[in-house]
Amino acid sequence: MTDTSHISRAPRTSSLLTEDARTKKRNAAEARFKIYGIVAIAIGLLFLLVLLTTIISRGTGAFQQTFVTLNVELQESRLDKSGARDIEQIKKVSTFGYNPLLADALSQSIVDNGFETEITKSKALRQLLSTGAIGQLRAYVIANPDQIGQTVEFNFMASSRVDGYLKGRVTRESLARDKNLSPAHLDLVDQMLAAGMIEKRFNADFILGADASSNRPEQAGMGVSMIGSLFMMLVVLLLSVPIGVATSIYLEEFAPKNKFTDLIEVNISNLAAVPSIVFGILGLAFFIQFSGGVLGIQSMKASAPLVGGLVLTLMTLPTIIISTRAALKAVPPSIRDAALGVGASKMQAVFHHVLPLAMPGILTGTIIGLAQALGETAPLLLIGMVGFIASNYPDSIMSGLTDPNSAMPAQIFEWAKRSDPAFYERAWGGIIILLVFLMTMNIIAIILRRRFERRW
Amino acid sequence: MDDLGFTETILTQDTKISARGVQVYYGDNHAIKDVDVDIEDKTVTAFIGPSGCGKSTFLRCLNRMNDTIDICRVEGDIHIDGEDIYDRAVDPVQLRAKVGMVFQKPNPFPKSIYDNVAYGPKIHGLAKNKAELDEIVEKALRRGAIWDEVKDRLDAPGTGLSGGQQQRLCIARAVATEPEVLLMDEPCSALDPIATAQVEELMDELRKNYSLVIVTHSMQQAARVSQKTAFFHLGNLVEFGETGQIFTNPQDPRTESYITGRIG
Repeated sequence: MTDTSHISRAPRTSSLLTEDARTKKRNAAEARFKIYGIVAIAIGLLFLLVLLTTIISRGTGAFQQTFVTLNVELQESRLDKSGARDIEQIKKVSTFGYNPLLADALSQSIVDNGFETEITKSKALRQLLSTGAIGQLRAYVIANPDQIGQTVEFNFMASSRVDGYLKGRVTRESLARDKNLSPAHLDLVDQMLAAGMIEKRFNADFILGADASSNRPEQAGMGVSMIGSLFMMLVVLLLSVPIGVATSIYLEEFAPKNKFTDLIEVNISNLAAVPSIVFGILGLAFFIQFSGGVLGIQSMKASAPLVGGLVLTLMTLPTIIISTRAALKAVPPSIRDAALGVGASKMQAVFHHVLPLAMPGILTGTIIGLAQALGETAPLLLIGMVGFIASNYPDSIMSGLTDPNSAMPAQIFEWAKRSDPAFYERAWGGIIILLVFLMTMNIIAIILRRRFERRW
Repeated sequence: MDDLGFTETILTQDTKISARGVQVYYGDNHAIKDVDVDIEDKTVTAFIGPSGCGKSTFLRCLNRMNDTIDICRVEGDIHIDGEDIYDRAVDPVQLRAKVGMVFQKPNPFPKSIYDNVAYGPKIHGLAKNKAELDEIVEKALRRGAIWDEVKDRLDAPGTGLSGGQQQRLCIARAVATEPEVLLMDEPCSALDPIATAQVEELMDELRKNYSLVIVTHSMQQAARVSQKTAFFHLGNLVEFGETGQIFTNPQDPRTESYITGRIG
């Protein structure tokens, strides 16, 4: 019965239960495309993983430093011969005069702890400690003159070779060609380590301190260049946001559409693609040589964060303008109609309705532009914001803007090109700090976008 | 001066808007061709016609919304209460306070219901203090026939309302600035039949105070709500007259073809 009823119907040309050749081919193509996508993402993630592990494994060492605990007798005979505790007299003893104190303290500790060593020369002994130790000692004595004659416990930074030995960078073999430290030193370090005199611990000075000269890598820190970056970002923020947002609003909402505004648009898009080093040489020619040199404006000088900020402003403006215009364009025209329809002026429509809706996009663009500027190195090389910073922390906003300074990425570049491997480690550490800054800014961008986002 | 003012008021009792020889160009495209029309006060005038016939364009001329389109050019005379609205001295912002507009798609601001309605009165300085503003908002929402639905949640976002409620909110927003003319550009095309009925009922109510001009695709709607109907075709005003006459006894063959569904 069922058979006959089937036969009586029109013959079926195809069944839904079997795939025909075309469908099979199409599905295979789709599956292949999905695999390509997954492979692409996997490769991307792999690179990210390699990058992060390299940075973290090489950079975290910079945040730790080896310290030596030492009891130093502040000998009155060397520091204050008169015994009058006159601060002016005490200050006359230069750091050079403190060297014997350190050598004596080291010899004393060797005797006290019963260490065995063949090193006898005081100069050779002092190589265990950072050359900055004498400065630290002198600063303490000047601050506490009443302690002269006493024995005080100090925490000195170990020299970068000792630090490298604890971090595995320096070995007895590598010291064979190194005149700074000998294998005999390392034997002593091993004994001091066992006695608990030497320890490796977190070093806040790497984050907060200033750069140090090339023979004292253990003292170098990011702090001052961080301040340089901060002042540059201040200039960029104060200039590029108002200029960029005002430009975008005018171009997007008010400007007539003609050849001239088209030309401006094309130029802005092109500026976004100009290599940053071009902005650097522009900054050198215009801000430093023309404004500072020909016009004689005092604060426009090489290495000043003010000039750096101006150069980065030029670089950031196209990014901010493009993203702000995109954000304004994304606001539905019905909102403008609604505002104009109740009799708002064009400016009221823009400022009361369009701008608040475009805010998340504008903020995101601005912060991404700032983050880009923060990581920019090339233009800074041309305006002299790279190199050893002699100055310490600025004492006012004006000096922060005009005193020679470096910036975080330029500081990293500077460390990376110095010969001592201890600086190389610090360059990686600097990259971690820079990445933390960039990540923080991006997170702020995301949070702000979430906060301001409104539906319509 | 008094005499002049007197004659003007006589004139405006019948005709609110008078358009003569209106031409609109979008670049090279001649969108409105020589339209003459008189729109009466306290009536609903419907513009009907097929898509692209220029009825919305003409409507947007009445409050100079076309000014916002760069390539749009308007020629001819449009007078409201005897004043040329395309006169150099006229600020379109002031005009739009007098000629309110409701759009095809409900477009409340992404703000609270209260702020949506209060925005117009605020920027025009209609309220001296918060109490007065509250009063204006309530009055506008009542006129928009939405007060009872939203009076307990004036702080809720206007975009959270249903489509019909949003459109009535937009009508309330438009009437809050005390306009004399209300333009509605296909106000019900995005609404369901129930919301449409509510808005149509509202139009009939609003007719007591305002001159209403609506653009609609629905001939049934035009027949239900309007007293006067204008039929546009390819940028021409083909026929204008009493709604009943247009739908029962059209003079022009094109009108007849359109209302019987042969062109459109």
